[in-house]
Amino acid sequence: MERHFEQELDKLNKRILKMGNLVSEQVHNALEALLTCNNELAQQVINTDNKVDKLDVKIDKLCQRIFALTQPVATDLRLIMSALKMNNDLERLGDLAVNISAKIEGISDYKEILTELHVDELAQMTDLIVKDVITILNTRNTAFVRDIFLSANAIEERVQAISARIIEEMMHKTEVIVVATNLMIILTQIDRMADYSTNIAESVVFVVEGRMIKHNKKSFLESDTSG
Amino acid sequence: MKQPKIQIRDLTLFYGEKMALNSISMEIPEKEVTAFIGPSGCGKSTFLRTLNRMNDLIPNVRITGEVLVDSLNIYDKQIDVVNLRKKVGMVFQKSNPFTKSIYENVAYGPKINGIHDRKKLEVIVETSLQKAFIWEEVKDRLHDSAMGLSGGQQQRMCIARALAVNPEIILMDEPASALDPISTAKIEELIFELKKNYTIVIVTHNMQQAARVSDLTAFFYLGELVEYGKTRKIFTTPDKKQTEDYITGRFG
Repeated sequence: MERHFEQELDKLNKRILKMGNLVSEQVHNALEALLTCNNELAQQVINTDNKVDKLDVKIDKLCQRIFALTQPVATDLRLIMSALKMNNDLERLGDLAVNISAKIEGISDYKEILTELHVDELAQMTDLIVKDVITILNTRNTAFVRDIFLSANAIEERVQAISARIIEEMMHKTEVIVVATNLMIILTQIDRMADYSTNIAESVVFVVEGRMIKHNKKSFLESDTSG
Repeated sequence: MKQPKIQIRDLTLFYGEKMALNSISMEIPEKEVTAFIGPSGCGKSTFLRTLNRMNDLIPNVRITGEVLVDSLNIYDKQIDVVNLRKKVGMVFQKSNPFTKSIYENVAYGPKINGIHDRKKLEVIVETSLQKAFIWEEVKDRLHDSAMGLSGGQQQRMCIARALAVNPEIILMDEPASALDPISTAKIEELIFELKKNYTIVIVTHNMQQAARVSDLTAFFYLGELVEYGKTRKIFTTPDKKQTEDYITGRFG
């Protein structure tokens, strides 16, 4: 006999996944718009954000209802706790995509600088980490969580290196200050995208294995040799 | 874990040919609440009853293994069962007041144990009813029939009656299953208070009750102890799949 509760969990899983796919697309489009300086696509990302917000509220309400009516325990409890958290992280990822989109106009005259600074590579890495974490969310395969952490570290290092170069440029050429500031803001958003991706990966580990690895990624990377 | 109050070693119980408990070993700590959960027929009530030898009263029961209370095996021949049951009190699913006054119900045990001094009995009755959080509700009608109390009040009076003989351990077999939510909440609050002074073992079908009141939870299935550990662990990250399936309602 299938429990009615099972249907609620199924609904929750589907909505989280829908949210994941929607946000992943938003991130992809924002990064694409950045690299091609496509203002139209950037505007589309900004306009789509209300879809993300609506789904965010819908998921929160569903979690609240499940908590109130079923008093979940064990895996079910971990799943619903994590769904709330992952939903929040996904919604923030969506906001970051919007933030990037909003800054694109401010750098479109300096398109060539993106390739020069290897922002295109950074954007690819970021697009991939978000896609990969959504796959982990879908498959619940925690073997690949390690890769997410390593990619996030690589993205952080790249962001730092590019930021250092931008600061150096700004010191020498005051005329680039405006565009450089916009680019610095975009880099911060990209860095945070990697952070939220690791948060989501941590939540999946909590759901599947019951382990809380947040604030403890280093020992997770040292102990976990899978993948 | 606190000092063990009860130690069970390799306890096996047969009803005739049927094995109802299979080699149970566990330690129940002092002044904590330990809950036994599991589907009907899993042996949890049978096991609870072995802790004060209530199963002695059932014919064809055969028990092997040891139950040590304060390091003494209660199945030793020289153990006085009456003294044992004084030390290990019991509260049942359905409140079972005697058809006597509230006062007589609570004073019954101490009287059996030879206390007849009126003053002493009055003190015992009052303190026991206070400890069971029912004194305020009954102090003006101690000599009325206990049958006139509500179900929840009767159950708390029965707990007072168990406390009157000064036990160290209280076994509770689904003490709130026949009560409404308010009375249930009172019993649960009472259990929380009582654990400061008593070791409590409770059998419950209500998983949330086990989660709310107990420090430790033992999950039984088909006469076996499947998993035993801190309640907070069992209800968040149980080790065994069977436990997980049971507490999440996927079987049982």
